[in-house]
Parts: sequence; C-alpha cells; structure tokens
Amino acid sequence: MPSPAEVFGRFVRFVGELLGSSSLRFEIGPTLVVLGVLLVLLQLVARPISRWVTSDTAGLAGVARAMALAAESGTDAVVSLGGAGITRATDALGRLQTLAALPILGHVARAAARSGIPLRVLTNDPIAGVMAAATIEAAHASTETPERHGRSRIVMVGEGRSTIAALAMTTRARPAAAFAVGSLREEALLHLDGLRGGAGSIATASAEAAQAPSLLLSGGAALIGPEPFQAIADLRTDVEERTMVMAANRLIVLAIALILVGSALALAGVVDLAAFLAGTGRG
Amino acid sequence: MRRPTLTALVVIIGLLLLADTLVVNAALSQLAGVAVDAAILVAAGAALAGVAALGVRRVQDLWRQRGDPIGAVFVIAGMAAMLAAGLRPGSAGTTDPAVQWLVAALLVPIGATLFGLLFVTTLGAARRALATRTREGILLVAGALVTTVLLLPLSGSAGAGLADAATWSLAFPIGAVFRGLLIGIALLSAVYAARVLLGIRAADE
Repeated sequence: MPSPAEVFGRFVRFVGELLGSSSLRFEIGPTLVVLGVLLVLLQLVARPISRWVTSDTAGLAGVARAMALAAESGTDAVVSLGGAGITRATDALGRLQTLAALPILGHVARAAARSGIPLRVLTNDPIAGVMAAATIEAAHASTETPERHGRSRIVMVGEGRSTIAALAMTTRARPAAAFAVGSLREEALLHLDGLRGGAGSIATASAEAAQAPSLLLSGGAALIGPEPFQAIADLRTDVEERTMVMAANRLIVLAIALILVGSALALAGVVDLAAFLAGTGRG
Repeated sequence: MRRPTLTALVVIIGLLLLADTLVVNAALSQLAGVAVDAAILVAAGAALAGVAALGVRRVQDLWRQRGDPIGAVFVIAGMAAMLAAGLRPGSAGTTDPAVQWLVAALLVPIGATLFGLLFVTTLGAARRALATRTREGILLVAGALVTTVLLLPLSGSAGAGLADAATWSLAFPIGAVFRGLLIGIALLSAVYAARVLLGIRAADE
C-alpha cells in the first residue's frame, strides 16, 4: 500500500502532467484581461450588494404599496419573465436577462407574500418556470408565510415569444400590478401593451438595447440597458452605501467638468491646465 | 438558507467551464463537454415535461369545465395535430411535409399577423406617451418625428441635405447613445454571468 507521501507525489506528478499537456486558448494578454475582469471587477467593484445609483428607477422599492392596493382590490399581481427563458434562449444575453429577472421576482414575491397577494408568473420556458416556483417558495419561507404559497402559480404559456405576447394581449385578468422583467424583443410592445391594458401599474425591465424605446413608451417605470442587472443590488443596500454613491457621482461629475474646462482653456491658449497642475505652467 | 452542496457544485462546474474557456486541454475539454451535455439533457427533459404539463393542465380545464374552454380546445388540438404529423408511422419527423406544412401554413402566418399589430400598437403607445406628458415619451415621439422628416424621399438639394442630416444623426447622437447602452450591457452581463458561474449571490437570494 502506498504511503501518504507517495500518494501526494503521484498527485503532484498528475497535476504537472495535466499542466504540461495544456496550453492557453488565447494569448497571455487577453487571458489576463479576462481574469482581471472576472476577479478584480467582481471583487472590487461589482459585489452583489454594491449600489450603483441613488434613485429607484423602476419603483421596485415601492412595490409594497402596489401590493397593498392589490390587497384592497382583491386582485393578484402578474410577473412576466420575458420571452427568452433559460433553455429555449438562443443567445446568452437572453438567458442572462431571465436569470437577472429571478431576484426581482423574489423581491416582488416577498412583498406579495407579506400582503397575502397571489402571484401569477408567466413564462414560456419550463426551467425558468421551475426556478420561478423555487423563488416564490423561498420568498414565502423567508417571510414565514408558507400557508399563502398555494395561491401563487406559474403559467407555462407554451413555446415562442409571440405566444406570451398573445396571452398578455388576450387575457381578461385585471391584476393590480404587472411586472415584465427579462428579454423582450420584437414582441416587446405587444407584450407590454397587453400587460399594461389590464393592470393598475406596470414596471418593466429589459437589457435589449433596441427595445429600450418600447419600454419607455409603454408607460410606468422602466429599467433599460444594464439597469436590470444592477436593480436588485440597488434595493438591498443601506444608507451609508447610498451616501457613498452620491459622493462618488459628484466626484465623477467634478472630474469630467475639470477635464472639459481644462481642455477648452488649453485649446483657446489661455492656460495649459495640465502643465499648471504639474508645476511647469506659464503662470 | 443557502445549501452549501449546491453552491459548491455550482462553483465547481462554473470554474470548470471558465477554465475550459481559457485553457486548451483534452481532459478538461472532455469534462466540460460532459457538464454541458448533461445540462442539455436536463433542459430537453424539462422542455418535454413542460409541454406535457401544459397539455395535462388544459385537459383538466376541459374536464372540470374551468378557465377558457375554447383556448384549451385549440391548445390540445394543435398539440395533437403536430404530434400526429411528426410521430405517425412513416413520418420523417421535423422534416416531414405535414409538419412543414403546419408550420408554414399555420404557425408562421399567425405569428406574422400578430406582429402586424405592432404598427397600430406603436402609434397607440406614442399617443399615450404624449397624453401622459412623460419626459421620455415626449423626447421619443419628437425624435421619431424628426427622423421621419429626415428620411423623406425628396429630390434635389433639400433631399441631399436631409439625407446628410439623417446619416449624421445615425452616426453620432443615435450611435453614441446605443454605443453607451451596449457597452454598459456588455459589462454588466459579463459580471452577472461570472457571478452566476461562481455562485456569488446576495445573502438572502
């Protein structure tokens, strides 16, 4: 029987052989850039609860009020996870938007659970439906309202982006609040028009750049571009983080103003601000 | 409460896929391939289960006389027609002429009809945006009107001027805005993808 030292030696030789038979897929520069983005950006800048903005663009922080209105009117709330899904998505961006929609669904589900509002989640993807069901279950568990869990349901609308848009347009339901979060492409305006028509309020979020006008035209609160990815982090931070972001924003604006003014002065030949600051100006 | 086993599994598979992206190694590629194939199989199984659940739900709706009976009939009839066309003895599956006909003669025209409503829906959305006097809506509608004028097919110097202005607006203000949006989306989606692969989530997600 080999000794622990021999086992360790074999393991080291195995790792060495593995490394020796490997090569980088890209050059060293691009590899370091990829690692830098992943490790440095993740750890230093994009912590899961880092706050990026000081305003609540989509009104998600006020979702409790929408749920209170739903409780008074005796209706439900509907959340659409967009048309991409997880398994049926044809590109990674669509898939990522559906994944980014789940924490927002969790936020809405917690508010709905506290208010006793049933949620109706629309999806055209089975895996997204399973994940949404788990998210709602977790929301009821965290708010200690398991007895209300059975009232919410996941609606599998079928296959295709047009299917979920058609369902939104033809349904007779009148939810108190509607949320459309995820990948919304060519069917965006139809989808949102259908949700908006019957709902008391609507909030939308999608990272599809070409559909940003559709989200803005649909009325209600909208998260466009990269905002859906950072929305849930913006909801979870405390006052100190908000103050830090406000201070950072002001410093950034000041720096940009200095650059613009200094460039204008330098172009006009009035003063070379960079040389002045460095101590070798005309002064 | 997060389950450490699942988190560890996510992190291991995420690191495996990331390493396969950066390093060329036969054993690593095989391992990553197994993980990806397993995910595809699970996704395919879930897709079949989802469709089956939809069919069962609609049959139950009809049996218990609840919900939308007409919609349920259409869903069940459509699923039955497609299954019969694709799975009958002698069928060529997805390339069978019957399946191709169902897609080309029914599915595509119905979808096209739906998207034909986009024109009317867009006009209605623009009217509502102006009526509610939201800042974004007014800017969007004003921009759309200016773009419509710039794209007028006029001849002569006026038409050439409008065409130059249209080209400039597409290249500079519109291009700048979209470039900013796309850069932001690319950065945040890369960060989010890395978070997903490495199992990094907020405390109560």
